[in-house]
Amino acid sequence: MPIGKDEILRIADLARLFVSEEEIGPLQRHLNGILEHFERLKELDLEGIDPFAVECDTAGSSRQDAVSFWPGREDVLAQAPNREGDFFRVPRILDESDEVHLDECR
Amino acid sequence: MNAAEMAKAVREAKISAVEIAEGAIGRIRLIDSDVRALLTPLFERALEKAEEIDRKIELKQDPGPLAGVPVIVKDNLCMRGQVTTCGSRMLENWRPPYDASVVRFLEEAGAVILGKANMDEFAMGSSTENSAFFPTANPWDLERVPGGSSGGSAAAVACGYVPLALGSDTGGSIRQPAAFCGVYGLKPTYGLVSRFGLVAFASSLDQVGPFARSVEDLALAMNVLSKPDPADATSSWRTRPDYAAFLGREHLKGMKVGLVSEFEDYPVQSEITEALARVESILREAGAEFVPVSLPTTIEAGLPCYYILAPAEASSNLARYDGVRYGLSAEAESLMDLYMKTRGLGFGPEVKRRILTGTYVLSSGYYDAYYLVAQKARIRISREFRSAFEGADMILMPTTPTLPFRKGEHQDDPIQMYLSDVFTLPVNLAGLPGLSLNAGYSKSGLPVGVQFVGPKWGEGTLLAAAEAVERVLGKPTCAFGGEKA
Repeated sequence: MPIGKDEILRIADLARLFVSEEEIGPLQRHLNGILEHFERLKELDLEGIDPFAVECDTAGSSRQDAVSFWPGREDVLAQAPNREGDFFRVPRILDESDEVHLDECR
Repeated sequence: MNAAEMAKAVREAKISAVEIAEGAIGRIRLIDSDVRALLTPLFERALEKAEEIDRKIELKQDPGPLAGVPVIVKDNLCMRGQVTTCGSRMLENWRPPYDASVVRFLEEAGAVILGKANMDEFAMGSSTENSAFFPTANPWDLERVPGGSSGGSAAAVACGYVPLALGSDTGGSIRQPAAFCGVYGLKPTYGLVSRFGLVAFASSLDQVGPFARSVEDLALAMNVLSKPDPADATSSWRTRPDYAAFLGREHLKGMKVGLVSEFEDYPVQSEITEALARVESILREAGAEFVPVSLPTTIEAGLPCYYILAPAEASSNLARYDGVRYGLSAEAESLMDLYMKTRGLGFGPEVKRRILTGTYVLSSGYYDAYYLVAQKARIRISREFRSAFEGADMILMPTTPTLPFRKGEHQDDPIQMYLSDVFTLPVNLAGLPGLSLNAGYSKSGLPVGVQFVGPKWGEGTLLAAAEAVERVLGKPTCAFGGEKA
């Protein structure tokens, strides 16, 4: 079943990605094109394949779980679009009704 | 001069690192207004680094195997304090607080980084037209694309700005632009080169690798780059060979080269078929034996498999761009609004397409039908390659189905653009090494590339075979002629 406009908006919402009215049509066509291409995979015999049986050559490469000093903390915070002291500042997360609810909890 | 000769001349104090850097900067100033390979020049910093190399020489210290060699790195490799945009508005002003390990390896070896190369946004694309800033031109025909996503790095080497550049390859992003620009491009085995400090696109596929104009320089670069790295959990700890030791073979007797039976029917431009025949006869002449190998579903399954898995991983990796900690941040009333607007403004069309595709195939109810099926197909492709390498030491195949296409040619049809990577992306799916080399030029003067693919850790075989071809066809020439680095 081809993907419709509502589905594009639902996915965009999941991806936290604003999509404008003009972008919807091309995105719809693209995604349907990819999925159509994908139908070919369904013809393959994939019986008995463990999808996560990826060969791995990196066994034993884990580091020691040890704390080490890294001098870049201030450089990281300095990149923050909206910083307050040692914190990243974000817009309001809870709306007023949430606050009422929190009051009730207290 | 190639990189090896340059480093030798610098170490023997026959030329200074500053003179080499100034020469390279001069050539960039002469040509790059047309080609636009560089996003961010780092000339002042480069000259300071070159002075440091020269001071070491004066003090009789060894600056390393890349002493004074000018290099350019793709703009998805972090350099501490230097703008690293990844070709995106999202990171237009971002200055990473650390160096990518490969950047550190280069500088510790004495290389002088001249700038950051243009690329498709977040390495998603095959033409460098998806850069949020400007497209790069193909040095051999300015109306055509240099390939992508590492188009800037490939063009920089083809223009003779530098003998070496770094790119990254998730589905062909080193090999396809190498073919389009007429230079060597090597995508190493997954796990061979550290990705620490490479901005992540699809983590199970991404690899960093070199571009060069001589096989000797590829080997030199691999000796510098292929170190185990505790900062990258996918970095392999196996002992690396000396890649230079694979060179200088008098013949290729005993080497078995596979030709893929199923690829014979795939439509490929005639110049590429002719180039494959040319390389085949050179390798035969050098003593290699040709054997048929079979990859029955690789070509059919590779593309759909890749365009499910890579976007799935990308949608997860790119979730970090939320407008909170670094990068672009939109004015917003609520946190949800901040996420939606920042990402809507910061990402270009191709990145949005991939994020949405990835989100869809991972979303509840679709995961089994798409992601899991693609993952199984990936394992099947890996097994097909493994069987093929039971009878062959390497495979000779096209890098791309076509010669460099015109700017704008595939902009309205992304799936046509994806087909450009049909021969390269299975190699990433299987985690194998792939080397694209120039095998001549078309009648219209465009470079024609072919690809060698090896089993895991088989880089040495690919280098030996490429050297045999280089002995006959010569080293790739620079676009625009003249003095070159």
